[in-house]
Amino acid sequence: MVQQGWLVWCGERYEVAGVTGKKKKLLIVGNGMAAGRLLDELIKRDVSGFEVTVIGDERQGSYNRIMLSPVLAGETDVPAIIGKPSSWYRDRGIRFVSGVQVKAVERERKCVLTSEGNRLRYDHLILAVGSRPAKIPAENQQLNNIYSFRTLRDVDRLLNVARFHDRQSRKTDTDALVIGGGLLGLEAAYGLALKGLRVTLVHRSGWLLNRQLDKTAGGYLQRVLEEKNIRFILNDEVARFSGSHELKSAELKSGQSLSCKLCVIATGITPNKELGLAAGLKGARGVAVNPYMATSDEDISAIGECVEFKGETFGLVEPIWQQCITLAERLCNNIKLPFENTPVPTKLKVSGVNLFSAGDFITTDEHRELVYRDDKAGIYRKLLLRDNRIVGAVLFGDARDGQDYFTMLSEKKDVSKIAPFLLMGRAFYQDSDQQQDSDGAVAA
Amino acid sequence: MNMPEKLIASDTVNTTCCYCGVGCGVTAAVADNQVVAVAGNTDHPANKGRLCIKGSSLHETQSSPDRLLTPMLHGKAVSWDTALDYGASKFREIIEQHGPDAVAFYLSGQLLTEDYYVANKLMKGFIGTANIDTNSRLCMASAVVAHKRAFGSDAVPGCYEDLEQTDLLILVGSNTAYAHPVVYQRIAKAKEERPEMKIVVLDPRRTATCEIADIHLPLRPGSDAYFFNGLLSYLADTNALDREFIAAHTNGFEEALAVAQGQVPDVTAAAHLCQLDRNDVVRVYQLFAGNEKVVTVFSQGINQSSSGVDKGNALINCHLATGKIGKVGAAPFSITGQPNAMGGREVGGLANQLAAHMGYDNSDDINRVESFWQAPNMARKEGLKAVDMFRAIDEGKIKAVWIMATNPAVTMPEAGRIRDALQKCELVMVSDCIGNTDTAKLADVVLPATTWSEKHGTVTNSERCISLQKGFLNAPGQARHDWQIMCDFAAKLGFSEHFDYPHQVDIFREHAALSGLDNNHSRGFNISALADIKREDYESFTPIRWPVTTGSPKGTDRLFGNGQFYTPDGRARFIPIQARLPVHEPTAEQVILNTGRIRDQWHTMSRTGTAAKLLGHVDEPYIDIHPHDIERFGLLEGDLAVLANQGQRYFGRVKAARSQRPGEVFVPMHWNGKYAASSCADALVNAVVDPICGQPEFKHSPVRINPFKQAWNGFLVCAEDIQPHCEYWAKITLDGGYKFRLADGEFPATWSDWIKNQFPLIGDWVDVHDSHDQFYRAAGFSDGRLQVVFSAATDKVSAREMRWLEQQLGEEIDSNTRFAILAGIPGAGVEDVGAIVCSCYQVGQNTIAKAIKGGCTSVEALGAKLKCGTNCGSCIPELKALMR
Repeated sequence: MVQQGWLVWCGERYEVAGVTGKKKKLLIVGNGMAAGRLLDELIKRDVSGFEVTVIGDERQGSYNRIMLSPVLAGETDVPAIIGKPSSWYRDRGIRFVSGVQVKAVERERKCVLTSEGNRLRYDHLILAVGSRPAKIPAENQQLNNIYSFRTLRDVDRLLNVARFHDRQSRKTDTDALVIGGGLLGLEAAYGLALKGLRVTLVHRSGWLLNRQLDKTAGGYLQRVLEEKNIRFILNDEVARFSGSHELKSAELKSGQSLSCKLCVIATGITPNKELGLAAGLKGARGVAVNPYMATSDEDISAIGECVEFKGETFGLVEPIWQQCITLAERLCNNIKLPFENTPVPTKLKVSGVNLFSAGDFITTDEHRELVYRDDKAGIYRKLLLRDNRIVGAVLFGDARDGQDYFTMLSEKKDVSKIAPFLLMGRAFYQDSDQQQDSDGAVAA
Repeated sequence: MNMPEKLIASDTVNTTCCYCGVGCGVTAAVADNQVVAVAGNTDHPANKGRLCIKGSSLHETQSSPDRLLTPMLHGKAVSWDTALDYGASKFREIIEQHGPDAVAFYLSGQLLTEDYYVANKLMKGFIGTANIDTNSRLCMASAVVAHKRAFGSDAVPGCYEDLEQTDLLILVGSNTAYAHPVVYQRIAKAKEERPEMKIVVLDPRRTATCEIADIHLPLRPGSDAYFFNGLLSYLADTNALDREFIAAHTNGFEEALAVAQGQVPDVTAAAHLCQLDRNDVVRVYQLFAGNEKVVTVFSQGINQSSSGVDKGNALINCHLATGKIGKVGAAPFSITGQPNAMGGREVGGLANQLAAHMGYDNSDDINRVESFWQAPNMARKEGLKAVDMFRAIDEGKIKAVWIMATNPAVTMPEAGRIRDALQKCELVMVSDCIGNTDTAKLADVVLPATTWSEKHGTVTNSERCISLQKGFLNAPGQARHDWQIMCDFAAKLGFSEHFDYPHQVDIFREHAALSGLDNNHSRGFNISALADIKREDYESFTPIRWPVTTGSPKGTDRLFGNGQFYTPDGRARFIPIQARLPVHEPTAEQVILNTGRIRDQWHTMSRTGTAAKLLGHVDEPYIDIHPHDIERFGLLEGDLAVLANQGQRYFGRVKAARSQRPGEVFVPMHWNGKYAASSCADALVNAVVDPICGQPEFKHSPVRINPFKQAWNGFLVCAEDIQPHCEYWAKITLDGGYKFRLADGEFPATWSDWIKNQFPLIGDWVDVHDSHDQFYRAAGFSDGRLQVVFSAATDKVSAREMRWLEQQLGEEIDSNTRFAILAGIPGAGVEDVGAIVCSCYQVGQNTIAKAIKGGCTSVEALGAKLKCGTNCGSCIPELKALMR
């Protein structure tokens, strides 16, 4: 699978009339979604002062990793999710080095060392090296047919297994075992189930999406996914895998053993902080940055999932988009636009499942909780209020008003007057807001 | 009034309205054993084509879900034989052991004359007791005695035309706009045509009737007799007396005048005693003195009093003193409440009457009736009047009571005590068309009776006009006519021979014959010319005013025009009146409770409560109270307040009403246990009665008033009729179900359980829950159709009602609309019409207000634009008020 690195130069067009002096070398390590978005933001502005190089270990151009689930589910295909094919870089005079890993950053020499032993110089370095699937403590993870769900390559291999999957031979308890009931695990399980596999998902917590949903919403979600032929084992973990070369079964901590042919581990991500920290940059969970995305070395910036900001790391795209804007403003315009880590709503890409979660999602004594329940229609909506302001929203079954709640949450709108109508959606609380403002109508 | 087109297309029959004492002729269109439309009968003298909202909704109140279809014995359906055998054997047993005075009948002004006649005959002639009284005791007894004292007979001197043809109309304690809407319309039209005709209203309240009044005198409650004593003194002082008439046709004038002058010598005294502006009193006295044609209409406002008889006579004295009686446009005019209170009075179906205007004060009368009836057990003394009758039941002296077509558990004073009494009573029989009235719930035997459009017989209205209330529909289930039920009962007691009537006309003929028996102009009621009426003439009975004798076969419009009265010497009697105020004075913490009717409801709502349209105008028990009192008692407009007296509570919504005098509140009399948790006005009324006639003082009860401290309030809309587990609820009939307004001083454990436990059969719920318990909403569905909506809140704003929501009841609701159901609003773009003002066309206040803003500045303009007020016209006073 290892590909030779290749270079693209477009010298003539790179020189812009009227620009004098030597261009700065801007080197972006990583070609995931953060790098792709940063390029867009840079180009939107003015990159004439830079000679831009992108170096990434995947061989494709930047693609939309979020869309891996629909690819697995067969709802879209690979070309559709590649945002930036190699021609894109060429057309914009960007040097694109693919299939190459950066081994080290040599800050004193202001260059990086690649897996091929080459050194690339930089004036300004941007780390956008992302994250990797989190490890689980189970034994025998070296067995074949145990995958993560992170890259196009993972999806490729999963699709392969699914393609050759013999639907007639049902000797196992389950065809595919998915570990992790977070967003990624659920999307993987859904995709595999759509391919006709019998899927069992093992989740360590008591309910699905326990980082985004409360127990009730998790229960609703489980009910919907069970209808899509996914079986769930909660409050359990895989202790060890068994098999000679090929995966045969997995034994759970509870003692239960499940025979299976395929396993996807999707228990979360671990920031790829090592490259930066090894070079002496500050950081703990990730590479630490200030509000302008600068690391402890002023010539090195970092964005995306490898970053740590005020102790937080990032796994969802919205804040990363903000980071890209902040960094592009600083590099191109020398404008200091501080990055703020605002709450981000959660969405799950499973057809027929509408869910939305933002802000607080577990009710505590400090919250005023408003709940809408429609068991028959499978609709659950919860808003958490503090001081008459929305601080959390969990929607299941009908997520249409999520964005509106999110706006109110972000704007800290006082909702005390419209509280009874809030959960029914915009059409009702806006109406009610206006009516009450205008006539103060009273019951009876 | 034009007849609706569909009326012409189908079979039509002429009948009489079953509601108030106006006695309007109704033309009903019938198809498939159903009344499909009604219109006023243009040929009927009482209404000449007009109908009020209640009357024009008659076809919408035909099918009550609570209609009783089979006889019930101790809650189980039984055969007629079983039910009547049980009742008859109990009656016999009790009579054998305790004598006939241990049983009683309690009747109603809703009964037809033929029913009344049979009941009276059975009780007084055969069972042998005069313990037969009626709810007419609650409305008309004072007028009856006042008439008898003055005229020697219970006879209304004039007719409705007099109200139109007079030059001065004084309405005393009479809110005709609500209680007698068609008479009001006739007056209003006359006033429009002859604006010089003066109208005066004497009423502590500024009622809707005052809209057409030139002068409203908001007198001190109960001070009416002072006012008329003052008038008598004034008439004497100003030489306004008809000395000739007094000398030729009356007795006792000087004594009556002396007493009046002794008590109320002049206008100043009258104004002071009645708490009125002196100039206003002078104006009215001058008008009375200066006009030949004066009609004084009086009704419950003075009748329902501990001195109601005296008030009636004080008023009649003034007419006698000026000869303003028996002439066109001149008469004292008692207007009665019920459709056939007059028929009951004619029959003598009251404890202190005998029969056909004969009385217990005359042994010849007793003997005459005894022989006419061939009565084996003739009662020879008066029986117990309503209040005393129920006291005797409470004390165990009366052990069996048969209640027909009325609901005393709601309407009697101390209604709470009446319930206790009935609960204790050995045998309670109830005949009614509705099976679950508050009274029927307490009965051992409940008998299904026919109702309007099924029952067949005559009624008499306030102007002595007899009409046929026609039966033209088949009775449902096993329902039977009251007279038939009683005849069967009589047979089971061994009196079959005397109660073997093939048809109503046979009863009517007997009644007519009795009225003429040895009459010789000694008794007012005489319809002897009808004693041989042919069956076919009876079936197409032409309305006629009694007396109907060989001398006046076409009836009699006015009495006493010849100066001849029904007293032994033919002279009218002045009665010296020592005016009295009501018995109970309020303490500093109390207000005076006044009770009465509202426009669109009838009595205890058993019929009118089933039509959504009739609850659109006023849908909830309320308390009219002066704004000063709202402040004084710490109330808030629109909130609930509680009136309390004798351990009973009346919950009502506070309505700021400058029409009330400070210190006095008004509440509607209609609500009862079927329509509200605890809003029975009469339960708070003290059992104080007029010593002469036994009529209770419904218009004057000192009560406490306090704000209701509610923990939460809300509403419930549901398809099914329930009794919510709630301290306060009021039921409002909708087209497809019911709405309840709710409030409670305490929270339920959870609102969710509270509502779901009351609808155990519903499994499909959607709800909104607030951990701070400031609100809760839920909706329940069956097969996707909306069955229940519940909205509760601690504040008053959140549980807001919308007509739109009520219209969704029973509809299939998609998952998207389920949000709207819980919100209670359809989302953007739908206007709420507001409280219904025009019940006929369901035009709401918001719509009207908008039209007024948009330039509709007259009732006519509003009518042209929105149709409001163009059908029955009942809402016109309110339309006018909205325009001010």
